[in-house]
Amino acid sequence: MSSAPDALAIRDTGDQRNHRDARHDRWFRWLLMVCALLVLASLVGAAGATLWGGRHAFGTFGWHFLTSSAWDPGNDVYGALVPVYGTIATSIIALIIAVPVSFGIALYLSEVAPPWLRTPVASAIELLAGIPSIIYGMWGLFIFAPFFSAHIKPWLTSYLGDSPDDGKVSWVAAHVPFIGKLFASNYPFGASVLTAGIVLAIMIIPFISSVMREVFQTVPTRLKESAYALGSSTWEVVWDIVLPYTRSAVIGGVFLGLGRALGETMAVTFVLGNAMNLSASLLDPGASIASTIANQFSEAVGLQKATLMALAFLLFVVTFFVLLIARLMLRQLKKREGL
Amino acid sequence: MTESAAAGLHPQPAAGPEAVAPTKIQVNDLHFYYNGFHALKGISMAIPEKKVTAIIGPSGCGKSTLLRIFNRIYAIYPKLEARGEVILDGENVLAPGYSMNRLRSKVGMVFQKPVPFPMTIFENVAYGIRHHEKLSRADMEVRVEKALRDAALWDEVKDKLKQNALGLSGGQQQRLCIARAIALRPEVLLLDEPTSALDPIATGRIEQLVEELKSQFTIVIVTHNMQQAARCSDLTAFMYMGELIEFDGTEKIFTKPSKKQTEDYITGRFG
Repeated sequence: MSSAPDALAIRDTGDQRNHRDARHDRWFRWLLMVCALLVLASLVGAAGATLWGGRHAFGTFGWHFLTSSAWDPGNDVYGALVPVYGTIATSIIALIIAVPVSFGIALYLSEVAPPWLRTPVASAIELLAGIPSIIYGMWGLFIFAPFFSAHIKPWLTSYLGDSPDDGKVSWVAAHVPFIGKLFASNYPFGASVLTAGIVLAIMIIPFISSVMREVFQTVPTRLKESAYALGSSTWEVVWDIVLPYTRSAVIGGVFLGLGRALGETMAVTFVLGNAMNLSASLLDPGASIASTIANQFSEAVGLQKATLMALAFLLFVVTFFVLLIARLMLRQLKKREGL
Repeated sequence: MTESAAAGLHPQPAAGPEAVAPTKIQVNDLHFYYNGFHALKGISMAIPEKKVTAIIGPSGCGKSTLLRIFNRIYAIYPKLEARGEVILDGENVLAPGYSMNRLRSKVGMVFQKPVPFPMTIFENVAYGIRHHEKLSRADMEVRVEKALRDAALWDEVKDKLKQNALGLSGGQQQRLCIARAIALRPEVLLLDEPTSALDPIATGRIEQLVEELKSQFTIVIVTHNMQQAARCSDLTAFMYMGELIEFDGTEKIFTKPSKKQTEDYITGRFG
């Protein structure tokens, strides 16, 4: 730009600059929009690709695909019930264990622990979250599953379950319906739905607890002090004030963990046993969607490959419904609070 | 308003306000340490029953700290230490054996910023009561209504008790916090700069409320607003750098303070 001394020229450069800025802003907006659309496109693309890849399975088996526990590659007959059940069962067990433990960790770190202990433990938890899942799987297979099989499983079976070997029924199993079936021992392995659930719990505890810890810290001090000033104990402050205040974020953290548990592949594949049989017992091996895909993809052709694709699509659907339920729960809670 | 207090004090300020009304809280040689920092240096004062006592002073003088010792709210944090005596109705509340639950049912507190709990308006008031008494639904409703009426909030919220308290305006929220505190029927009410986050109209309502409540409660109010202390208190304590400089009838403090520092502060020469 020539440095023109008259006012007109200066105004022109000003106008030019305005035009340039407007153009840049336009490009910038486009660029951001493309970035955002990329997420949507990959989501729709992945769901669409798995649905398309699995169309033969859906077409061949129809709705029966969802309710059948068959898995017979020799005759090309497949059903999704076992892996879907395994996915949901392992994830629910993981949540049942991980949520209270994470709650305790987060609470201790944000409300109870002495300040010098808080930062190191919090960093340790974040490091735990970064361990690759195959390491959890390996640990589960070589160390935890044998220990589980030798010590925990016999105890569970003798106190809670039916034992088919000697026909004995534990006191709990005799008095509480269905418990005996859940803890019946039919196979002598350490790999089982419960083992996988426990390993998953250990994996998602760091996620859930670090989210919870962070949201607990957002509760204003004065809110807690007000409750203490009314005579609340630490427990009451946490239960009545901290939790309701952070409820949606806490539920968000729990569902983040659940999302991870549902799709976890390596760790589960190692300790779930990969048996395509439907058993009521949590101590029996099973299969999850992700582990089935990981185990069978390399050799699958034709209808079996389509079935695996269909399973992948079902995982999308399950995850979607889990998130949907989370949203609905939050809305319900908000309504009850009168917001 | 402070005729009797002021009249009683004039001849002998050192004799203190207890000459006029029975003492509710007697503070004896109170020291306070924050991580080793000496925040209160030997405070002694007698707070009379059913009067409004204001504590004024520049930021950091220890006035809020003093207030926070009266209900031992400081004790929820580590490394804070109070030495000395705070005698409430003849018993030292700083003694290790003094029940925290009992103390907090006798001494209510309202904080600087309105902090309603994340629940309905009704539950906000009922919450504290539940910690101390088991009431039937009907009795609870009576108690909540009484507290809201006493806090001059009932008419504004009676139709929306089931709504979330966070939907109220700032001034209403602060009156809700007062209702929550007085619902426990405490004997002492501590107000820690209760109007500092409010607009002038809401402030006026709170001050009017303080005037109405003093027939039922012993009120101690910390404020950085000297006009507020002059308007609504019977006695005023002036603190500076962790020490109690002067404690006397409000009229006397604001018209004829006996200490040079007090005079400098109230005339705006520092602080």
